[in-house]
Amino acid sequence: MTTNDFIQHSNNDSNQGSSEKVGEKNAEAIERVGSEIEQPSGEKRLTSNVKAGGCAAKLSATELKQILAGLPKSKNPNLLTGIDNFEDAAVYKLSDDLAIIESVDFFPPLVDDPYLYGQIAACNALSDIYAMGGKPIMALAIFAFPTCDYPLSVASEILRGGADQVARADALLTGGHSIQSPETVYGLSVTGLIHPDEVLTNSGARAGDKIIMTKALGTGVSLLALKAALLSQAEQGQLFSALTTLNDRTLEVARTVDIHACTDVTGFGLIGHIHEMAKGSKLAARMNVSALRFLSSVLNFAKQGLVPAGAYSNRKSFEASVSYIKDLPLEVSDLLYDPQTSGGLLFAVAEPDSQRVLRSLADAGIEATDIGQFIEGIPGHIDVVIN
Amino acid sequence: MKKSLDLRGLTCPEPVLRTKQLIDDATVTCIEVLVDDEVNVQNLSRLAGSQNLSILKEQAENHFKVVLERGNQEQSHQHVQTKSAVKAKSNLENSTGTVIFISRDTFGEGDHSERAHDFSAHLLNLFLQTICQSGHEPRAILMVNGGVKLMDPDGPYIKVLNDLRDKGIEVLACGLCLDFYGLKEKVQVEQVTNMFAICEYLFSADRIISP
Repeated sequence: MTTNDFIQHSNNDSNQGSSEKVGEKNAEAIERVGSEIEQPSGEKRLTSNVKAGGCAAKLSATELKQILAGLPKSKNPNLLTGIDNFEDAAVYKLSDDLAIIESVDFFPPLVDDPYLYGQIAACNALSDIYAMGGKPIMALAIFAFPTCDYPLSVASEILRGGADQVARADALLTGGHSIQSPETVYGLSVTGLIHPDEVLTNSGARAGDKIIMTKALGTGVSLLALKAALLSQAEQGQLFSALTTLNDRTLEVARTVDIHACTDVTGFGLIGHIHEMAKGSKLAARMNVSALRFLSSVLNFAKQGLVPAGAYSNRKSFEASVSYIKDLPLEVSDLLYDPQTSGGLLFAVAEPDSQRVLRSLADAGIEATDIGQFIEGIPGHIDVVIN
Repeated sequence: MKKSLDLRGLTCPEPVLRTKQLIDDATVTCIEVLVDDEVNVQNLSRLAGSQNLSILKEQAENHFKVVLERGNQEQSHQHVQTKSAVKAKSNLENSTGTVIFISRDTFGEGDHSERAHDFSAHLLNLFLQTICQSGHEPRAILMVNGGVKLMDPDGPYIKVLNDLRDKGIEVLACGLCLDFYGLKEKVQVEQVTNMFAICEYLFSADRIISP
């Protein structure tokens, strides 16, 4: 059978939110359609030639390990973080009471609204500083933009979104660098400050510590549903609010107790980040799926096949370290591997502190959940249970 | 009616959306889809599962062919879907199927002679081989105390344990016990478990068989 026999000659494929046509005579035509998506107004959509947006665009953990394997490792007594533990940012001690935190994060557009995209990318980049326990002071923008495809006003809006977010974090946007590129990319390099004794790495968890997570899970799946124009207004509101909410307040409240280890939930998905934290702390973990909170409808979307590629590569990278004590519905386990953009904080505190911090977070209007515990066992291994 | 879609070159979520549109057309009974990415194949599998369609996947040289087909009983469609939803829910709440719990290296006990011990050990091997061949699929085989001796890579049980593992059955041994019997170094870490996990498996099992 030839390729052409498979092709459906259809013009009944018009789908809400994607106005491109399918049913051309050959595969090349379809490929071309993929890059010519236009809005009814005639303006090209910001996400039209993006394959994977947000943290879903990250290289997989497996690939990254391979790439980094041959590289020399920087060592210096003042460097407080290593590259081995997949830390969120690098920390360098300047003096006995001051250390500097450096981080960089950028990705292609994941929403069509340029201002919102700028806000999300900046929020995601700033998050790494909070994940180390620090406070951002200054940021530089990283910007690649196809000036032939979009009006310059789109570029301005992206940068304005980023700048507003940096201002919200009470930091300064002090410059940046921009290039012409076929694909839009935006993000920040962020500098933060912290007392050297207060650095929160992802490797300080102790056996018996409770694992606390903030923000609901499922931004990867939800962003895919957004791309498919399947999100209701309310669901979009919930997603955008999650993506643009800084973790500054969360960190401030969490710091009222002694945090042993901390990271933010991003590209490796919840399982990946718990795994890295457990491995770094030479402990195993058990996670209670019943305690997790998901964004609205994401389980349903995942069930229908809206699962981002990053979730599959995360599963591949981390599933060998997971025991499912009971069968999980596939859509639930997909969400455990779903790459998160601008996710919540994940931190370890002693059991007696966990109730206290959960109450304080609730009082501050921040949703947080106790999702499990670190235990003695095979480093990095996760037992997934359901109560 | 059979329909074909060539969705090569399209990335997620497009293939799922376009296929779903055809599924929503009740006159279409069979859909043949071409995609060039394994992620799309997996997402179409999930879609088929949620819509109660059968699915066939085939890998060609540089793309995949996926065939989704409606069951014959159009009537029962909704019903089956509800039933599977209920099943998924009850999975979440309690059942874990059958767990085999092995706490010594024999099947029952003989008359304390060495001969009887060898015979009882042989019976245990036979028991595991029979599970493997009969198509029973316990969720997990857990080994504790003297039972962990089965994990000895030079012992007679290792072959059948590997066969069971190949069938997707979790074969796990207690870490403390492996340590006690001096086997810890010889066993791969992913086959080692802890008392917490053992308790969870046992308390959530529908049935525990302890030979």
